[in-house]
Amino acid sequence: MTVTRAVPDGAPPTSFVPTRDVKRYRAGDVRAGYAFVSPWLIGFAALTAFPMLASLYLAFTDYNLFRDPQFVGLENFQRLFEDPRFLQSAQVTAVYVFLGTPVKLAAALGAALLLNLRFRGQGVYRSIFYMPSLIGASVSIAIVWKAMFIDDGIVDQIQQLVGFPAGGWVGNPDMTMPMMILLAVWGFGAPTVIFLAGLKQIPAELYEAAEVDGAGPVRRFWNITMPMLSPVLFFNLLMETIHAFQVFSSAFIISGGSGGPAGSTLFYTLYLYIRGFQDFRMGYASAMAWVLVAVVGIITAVLFRTSRTWVHYTGDER
Amino acid sequence: MRIARRTIGGAGAAAVAALTLAACSGGGTTGGGGSEPEPVPTDRDITLTMAWWGNDDRAARYEEAVGLFEEKYPNITVQTKFQAWDDYWTARNTEAAGQSLPDVIQMDLSYLRQYANNGQLLDLSGQEGVNLDVSGLDESLLASGAIEGAQYGVPTSTNTLALFYNGDLLDSLGVEAPAEGYTWDEYDDFIEEVSTAGAGKDPVLYGSGDYTGTFWFFLQNLIQQGKTPFTEDGQLGFTEDDMVAWLERGTDARADKQYFPVEKALQIAPLGGFTVNESASEITWDNFLAGYVADSGTENIEMLPIPAGDDGSKQFWKPSMLLSASASTEEPAAAAALIDFLINEPAVGEIFGTSKGVPATAAQRDAMNVEAGSIDEEVIAYEESVADLVTESAPLPVEGFGAIEAEYKRLAEELAYENVTEAEFAEQWFTFATDNIPQP
Repeated sequence: MTVTRAVPDGAPPTSFVPTRDVKRYRAGDVRAGYAFVSPWLIGFAALTAFPMLASLYLAFTDYNLFRDPQFVGLENFQRLFEDPRFLQSAQVTAVYVFLGTPVKLAAALGAALLLNLRFRGQGVYRSIFYMPSLIGASVSIAIVWKAMFIDDGIVDQIQQLVGFPAGGWVGNPDMTMPMMILLAVWGFGAPTVIFLAGLKQIPAELYEAAEVDGAGPVRRFWNITMPMLSPVLFFNLLMETIHAFQVFSSAFIISGGSGGPAGSTLFYTLYLYIRGFQDFRMGYASAMAWVLVAVVGIITAVLFRTSRTWVHYTGDER
Repeated sequence: MRIARRTIGGAGAAAVAALTLAACSGGGTTGGGGSEPEPVPTDRDITLTMAWWGNDDRAARYEEAVGLFEEKYPNITVQTKFQAWDDYWTARNTEAAGQSLPDVIQMDLSYLRQYANNGQLLDLSGQEGVNLDVSGLDESLLASGAIEGAQYGVPTSTNTLALFYNGDLLDSLGVEAPAEGYTWDEYDDFIEEVSTAGAGKDPVLYGSGDYTGTFWFFLQNLIQQGKTPFTEDGQLGFTEDDMVAWLERGTDARADKQYFPVEKALQIAPLGGFTVNESASEITWDNFLAGYVADSGTENIEMLPIPAGDDGSKQFWKPSMLLSASASTEEPAAAAALIDFLINEPAVGEIFGTSKGVPATAAQRDAMNVEAGSIDEEVIAYEESVADLVTESAPLPVEGFGAIEAEYKRLAEELAYENVTEAEFAEQWFTFATDNIPQP
């Protein structure tokens, strides 16, 4: 903020001398600023900061929701790594994150490249492609998904038609993960929009110059589009990775809250919920939450570290 | 018929008495008792919330019963909701954590102690005599809903286990139903026979689901062996070996794919193999008949006592469900009035029939229209026929029963998918149970 902006109307900036009045006015300005952000500050303190601190404390206690928490030190964390279901949930989530996220980003980038082409009616296509992500994470879609993938559902019928009768995916522990990843990929609209905005930012003269020098479409993609798009790719990768760690509602709906069949959809957050709200082990669930925070934090840090080698910012000389 | 019906109620009540004595332990918390209860206010509008577990059939019955209640109390509106069993407890647990349980909830013996000990339930004895009349219930039956003298739930009805079989399916396969007095081994042979005959059909027909995967049946089997499932101080009364032996009853049948497949069962939930007419028999609670007839669309469901152990089937009566009020309700008087209505009103007895079990009050038992050939008649006739087989008292659930029962069900799924062996099942279950049952 510059000084001139704080001066009352009509006071010529050239003859400006700080006075007490102005100081008080500025202090008032600051107070007004805090007053305007206070709804957010209160919300942050009461709904985010306090619950987080409370759960950090609870992670070191035995707490069944109704009786007072008993401090147990690191016991919850020790038990985590002896709990076969915890390890299973970590494994299920890791597969989902490390398989699902790249597939989703590839789908999003492909769609963005198509939507970046110039032809009539492109606006309509962009709207249609974005539509799934408006409802992608909702409960209703998970229900539709389940209906599509059960015995004699539409997917099963198509499989029978083309001669690969495999039965419903929902009851087959080997097929639930592909089904969950498809559901995630289907909501590719949000990263697509961001990719599309990134593509629009790439100066056309780079392509023109490359074309003059004889670069084909593949060469232009790898040597112009990808480097120029890398900051956006990095952003999407970060967002989608974190998002994938948090998958809950679709798994909850499709497995009926159990993480079944045979634990194949026992995502980390779902097991956390089961421990907290079905088994009444809030301390254990809090410990799980903080392990998740730590893991997501470490993975984010690693991504940032590696980004130095492959993300190119405009004006960056590396 | 009338006398017989009363006999049944009496037998049930007597059986529950034994259960009650043991129920009087554990740290109860005080609910709404104490101060003089107010009668239900009529000068202002009241909204009550109520939740139950069940299917569409039960929902229709509840809607009708609640409609009558709202006619009697024009200033009270009852908002109802229901879920299937598993979802029901997840939803209630979440609400309990947020102190926002519905005013009136359907309660099960396996969760009563957990909810009561954690101060979630209203002590209804404070409402007795004003808004709640429990004089129609047998004292010992009523006591099954009490912990340390505080009335946390009022039983609505009693039930016992039964074997259901689908007569149409057996006829189409040319297989005879098990004969009276059949043993567990004979039941296994029956399942094998049906599944062998049904293997070539479309859809494939099965003898039964994997009955070893239901915790209550395991408990019933322990009782048949003369064992006590839970000790008086609220601990386990059986060993890993007992559990392995029980699970191994199904080992061969699982390997031969004789049981209704788990992957199908998961996909058609909340229906089951029996209610989609692809499984010929199922052991379950006798009051499920009405729901099963409604879901399966066949009238030809017959009932038999469960398979016998060395000394007969040794069954027990259990309060099939109770009604409780939330400790956090703002309308204890109206909540008690609703429970009173659902338990005592003859018209409600007529609406539900035996679908929740045989009603707990004589007023409702007498009000049932027991027509010849009806479902109610079948259930009543069944309870009459097994009355002398019911020689045991219901096992008293330990605190944490809901969680250990759910864990048993989860492991049964893993067993069905062949992810664990019988021994691993028992080992993992015992680890979980030790962790979840409060130690003395």
